[in-house]
Amino acid sequence: MKRLARVLFGGRFWALALKELRQIRRDRRLTISLIVPPTLQVLLFGFALDSDVRNLQLGIVDESRTPESRELIAALTQNRTFQLAGSYTTPAVLGEELGAGRLDIGVVVPYDYARLRTRGRPATVQVLLNAANANTAQIAQGYVEGAVASLNQDMLASRPPPVALRTAFLYNPGLVNAWYIVTGVFGTLIILNGSLVAAATMIREKERGTVEQLLMTPASALEVVTAKLVPLFILLMAMVGMVLVIARLVFGVPFRGSGALVLLACACCVLTGIGLGTFVSTLARSANQTQLISFFINPPLAMLSGGLTPIEAMPKWVQPLTLFNPIAHFAQIARSVLVKGAGLEVVYPNLLALLALASLFVGISAWRFRRQLS
Amino acid sequence: MQRILAQARKELTQLVRDRLALGLALVLPVILIGLLGTAISLTVTDIPIVIQDLDQTPLSRQYADAFRQSLTFRVVTLTPATSPETMLNKGRVRAAVIIPEHFARDIRRGRGAEAQVLVDATDGNTARLIRGNASLLTRAFAQDVGPPLPGGMIETATRLWFNPGRVPRKFYGPGFLVLALSIFPTVLATLAMSREGEQQTILQVYVSSISAHEFLLGKILAGLAVGLVQCLLGVILMLTAFDLRFVGDPTPFVVGSVLFVFCMAAFATLVGAAIPNQAAAVQAVGLGAFLLAFLLSGLIFPIENIPDALRWISYLVQARYYVLVVRDAFLQGGGWPAVWWAVLAIGAIGLLFYTLAWRSMRRMQVKA
Repeated sequence: MKRLARVLFGGRFWALALKELRQIRRDRRLTISLIVPPTLQVLLFGFALDSDVRNLQLGIVDESRTPESRELIAALTQNRTFQLAGSYTTPAVLGEELGAGRLDIGVVVPYDYARLRTRGRPATVQVLLNAANANTAQIAQGYVEGAVASLNQDMLASRPPPVALRTAFLYNPGLVNAWYIVTGVFGTLIILNGSLVAAATMIREKERGTVEQLLMTPASALEVVTAKLVPLFILLMAMVGMVLVIARLVFGVPFRGSGALVLLACACCVLTGIGLGTFVSTLARSANQTQLISFFINPPLAMLSGGLTPIEAMPKWVQPLTLFNPIAHFAQIARSVLVKGAGLEVVYPNLLALLALASLFVGISAWRFRRQLS
Repeated sequence: MQRILAQARKELTQLVRDRLALGLALVLPVILIGLLGTAISLTVTDIPIVIQDLDQTPLSRQYADAFRQSLTFRVVTLTPATSPETMLNKGRVRAAVIIPEHFARDIRRGRGAEAQVLVDATDGNTARLIRGNASLLTRAFAQDVGPPLPGGMIETATRLWFNPGRVPRKFYGPGFLVLALSIFPTVLATLAMSREGEQQTILQVYVSSISAHEFLLGKILAGLAVGLVQCLLGVILMLTAFDLRFVGDPTPFVVGSVLFVFCMAAFATLVGAAIPNQAAAVQAVGLGAFLLAFLLSGLIFPIENIPDALRWISYLVQARYYVLVVRDAFLQGGGWPAVWWAVLAIGAIGLLFYTLAWRSMRRMQVKA
């Protein structure tokens, strides 16, 4: 403890930290790469990734041509899920359009639709659904059946249904998808940019051979490593603040829970990112190699985090793997605290896991870096 | 022609000598497609829910059983001391179904009972799925217990085309094939090109008798060979692990694949020629090939949902067209009438990249 205090407040540490800060400040590319890519990425992801199902192209074959059939078509097209793309004369033409991808859904109303209904016999409407996209198909099917059920209910105006279900959407009643994506991508941004920047500054000493100079200074290995980490940490926390501002102002993510808790999680995440980057830089011999290694580590890390698609939808054997993914824990914390307003008593398992991962990565990388120094 | 082939052979020899790069080039795409193609899905099954039955009658239990039997939901027991709201808050469950008191009595008296479902809407898509499925279950239950309905009801007969089992991996697998083909051949070709600039071997090219067209075509031909091998591996994966078949005419897919790999190789030589630094060039590819293909090609999320201000960019992203061609070949089988324009668009973008690469190379001079 005493040793750590001496390391942190000794004059040598400040001198080294100041050297790092100046080096980072002079490196214009590094500063730009800390501001521009995260901003662009959070905006792009937040705006471009939206799983909402709307404006599906609906094709109709109306063989009945009666007020009743037109009522059904109106019921289907009055919400923004379906958009009437065209009417066709035969089901065969409808099928061709569906196969060519110009339609997402086709509805065939039989010629005896109105007659059957007035005679009090069930009328069957055929629904053809392009199910290539399983998710869209499932939601679209739900909408069609809901619309038909409400038409049926209208017929029995006097009689309420025996059981009705009332749905209440909690935490995000407007179903704004950006809240989910932005909170999910946040951790990815911290880890990816953190590891890139850390790897870049670490590998530079190695490439230019200035590690020799570091060895000649009277500073201990511990001082060198912490002096490298602290300025990076401060810079990355500034980036975190910027992303938080974008999330609040541009996407309107509600900040329901404690801000301190989120910042604590961000700090852990930043440390994990720095640790990961340093680790990669000790593996590689040149900047090229670090770039390549990160290029192959990062996409799976980002995709298997539950940041963009729910973890529960992944196969059973993949789900336990996400326990070792810092991005997954961070996304869980960010969503619980920011959107659901949960406190420490809810997110402590994730926070502990994040802390463990952060100390693991920083520990390993500091150890490897020290070994390289000596 | 001879010089083009010689250039291509030199590139391939260089790649084969680098065992690690070659191994990675062949193994990584397969791993990426296999892992992400099966792991990524938006459709949650087995959603944990909790049921609070305040009525405790046979009828209310029958209603709860409807949720238990469904494959979409997994009912978690509600411990006596906790409320459904705290379970939702803690993230243990995604939804809570609350059956009110007098549920059974209201149904018997024909007054209409009303159950409630509280949905954790943090993830809007899952929330929509939960609402759809819960309503479906409730309607089926209502038909079972309610009085027989009068005639004249509308019934739907739904046919699911192209993917009747609604298997997510049949949709995402071909998408990640496109992503893998956007990344790996491109990174390799970019490295091969920017290495010439970085190690100054480009000077040897400049002083030789090879022309800019021959040099570029040689590079692209080598990239094409590598990319097509990766494409073939990807297709084998589609046919085995992803359970897909070529439906209909495969020629648009073959032509589209060759053009797409050409397009990516041309893009790679363009980037490699413009940035004579391997690390920076790979970063540019990461942005241009990976991020754009991932975000703006309709890989996971529909393009139609992107705001107009951003959507126009997607028309310039070759992966967007290739996704259409691949999904059509494996799922819809529309053939040439459906995708001719997409194949054409890939070719046009490839030609554009080639022209740009040629313009930056044509003088065969060291840049001042």
